[in-house]
Amino acid sequence: MANSTATTAQSGPPSSVAGNVKPALMQLEEIELSFGGLTALNRVSLDIRSGEILGIIGPNGAGKTSLLNVINGVYRPQKGRILFQGQDRTNYRPHQVAAQGVARTFQNVGLFKGMTTLDNLLAGRKSFIHTNFFLQALYWGPALKTEVAQREKVEQIIDFLEIQAIRNTPVGTLPYGLQKRVELGRALAAEPKLLLLDEPMAGMNLEEKEDMSRFILDANEELGYTIALIEHDMGVVMDICDRIVVLDYGSKIAEGTPDEIRNNPDVIRAYLGTDEN
Amino acid sequence: MIFRENGQYAATYAKDMRIFRLREDRVAVAVLLVVAFVVVPLVANDYWLSSIFTLFLIFSLAALGLNLLTGYCGQLSLGHAAFMAVGAYAAFNFAVRLETPVLFNFIGAGLVTAAAGFVFALPSLRIKGFYLAVTTLSAQFFIEWLFVSFSWFSAGSMMGAIDTPPMRILGWAVETPRDKYLLTLGVVTVLALLAKNLTRGEIGRSWMAIRDLDVAAEIMGVRLFPYKLLAFAVSSFYAGVAGALYAFCYLGSVEVTAFELALSFRLLGMVIIGGLGTIMGSFLGAGFIVLLPIFISITVAAFATRGLTDFLSNLELIVFGGLIIFFLIVEPYGLARLWHTTKEKLRLWPFPY
Ligand SMILES: Nc1ncnc2c1ncn2[C@@H]1O[C@H](COP(=O)(O)OP(=O)(O)OP(=O)(O)O)[C@@H](O)[C@H]1O
Ligand SMILES: [Mg+2]
Repeated sequence: MANSTATTAQSGPPSSVAGNVKPALMQLEEIELSFGGLTALNRVSLDIRSGEILGIIGPNGAGKTSLLNVINGVYRPQKGRILFQGQDRTNYRPHQVAAQGVARTFQNVGLFKGMTTLDNLLAGRKSFIHTNFFLQALYWGPALKTEVAQREKVEQIIDFLEIQAIRNTPVGTLPYGLQKRVELGRALAAEPKLLLLDEPMAGMNLEEKEDMSRFILDANEELGYTIALIEHDMGVVMDICDRIVVLDYGSKIAEGTPDEIRNNPDVIRAYLGTDEN
Repeated sequence: MIFRENGQYAATYAKDMRIFRLREDRVAVAVLLVVAFVVVPLVANDYWLSSIFTLFLIFSLAALGLNLLTGYCGQLSLGHAAFMAVGAYAAFNFAVRLETPVLFNFIGAGLVTAAAGFVFALPSLRIKGFYLAVTTLSAQFFIEWLFVSFSWFSAGSMMGAIDTPPMRILGWAVETPRDKYLLTLGVVTVLALLAKNLTRGEIGRSWMAIRDLDVAAEIMGVRLFPYKLLAFAVSSFYAGVAGALYAFCYLGSVEVTAFELALSFRLLGMVIIGGLGTIMGSFLGAGFIVLLPIFISITVAAFATRGLTDFLSNLELIVFGGLIIFFLIVEPYGLARLWHTTKEKLRLWPFPY
């Protein structure tokens, strides 16, 4: 990474991945978040490294979605720091985070239901459009030119995700699996440096999960996007993630390669729930 | 519009992105414009020109403005009649105090109203839904009170009653119902086109994103506050111009009561019946509301012979209310969606599979 020289000493724990440790794209340091008396995140530190697929797992209510909301700037942590490419951006607002190149999908589908697939994907191109109000009202010159350019880009994504047939369908009327796919498309349209996926396969059948896994892997390998994803399906997580972070009751209880996680006694305990609350 | 697309594939995205993608659509629109600009003025009598067509166009414009705010951006306003009043009185003051050109007065009226809408929209960052609706309701009452109480706005006359001065545009004396119809038509056509452009580009998408899911919109990079303010300002601009046209091209003698709360509700009704979030729906809804009383009185007259004016006006309200409930429950996208569905069916007819 070009700016890794500016990065201060890596603050994450020593990597368990042998050999080439990639530089951190995003670093969370000692994040603390609570709602009233409830601690949703308890001094969570983790790195999201350039080019990796990071899995975030944990039982229901562990704080996974809250973590993404903190990264997005939807929630502001009470304590801790967030660095992006080495720069402190802890108190950024959601639109500023978006401008930095962080895109996101939601656990319960966060599409713009009344808009067509095409418009949803174009909405993902928001940060690439800078024409002013008057040019847009005339739909002329630079405004038209940039609309066409965005359309071309969006059509590539439509081809990539094989959703040509639903281009002009209002997404609210689409089946769930397709909605999830369109939502991925909207995030991809932003050409994100960091792509956050909150349970992208929840509620999907096997075939849809396989498709989705393929799209995520392609986005990582071919488009080079760094991805952090939350997922409950262990098979999928172990399959496609380079590294995994495990949360339980708001705390990070483990971090490592899929193999390390699979055999980690703390993780097994958290999932089997052998410890009393 | 109800033709088929047989093999009409757009060769470029620019062509695919035109407002009227199909050749038949473009022909239909051209025909519509010719009818509106040439045929109607030639054949319609003064009553129809003024009481039906001009009124229809003015309401369409006001509904269009409200639709930008409510249908596209998802922010309810119960104060749009008052914003029309701001436009009407602003245009009047420009005309009698500054004696500026007519079109300048109309644009100025729009801008003054946009500023007023902007001010009343300032709470919209913090509050939404019901509470925002209440804020706009207070705008309605505040503005009515302002024009009734301070005769400065009506150049000295009591209770805000004004008579609009004669209009002249580059030597064209806008006097007859036909002139006023044509002036209104020209203004509405241009503004409708601009609205269509706004809504099919980045600004329109951002508005709709806010309407559908504001959290997701923000995460995609849409700053909520500026975009909501813009929606209020643009929407009020349209209301202001519509109000100026209402005063100058339809009413002539204006009183504040012409812009009371009931009109705000009628505008909302037009938007709901016509179709939230569509430009065409604003026109359909306005046409529907303008024609409804006529339609009802003709129907009732066919059954009854004696004076039934009370019954008629009540019936109108009942039908109006019933339709709003119907559309809210059954077809939230209104007449425009019904039109669209019919079109889709016809497109595939007679082989739906
Ligand atoms: N806005 C909020 N207000 C109050 N409590 C919240 C809020 N958001 C999350 N929480 C609480 O924080 C805890 C963590 O929730 P979070 O949604 O992050 O869990 P999760 O790991 O994503 O769970 P799941 O697997 O069910 O999606 C839960 O106890 C939840 O009730
Ligand atoms: Mg969650």
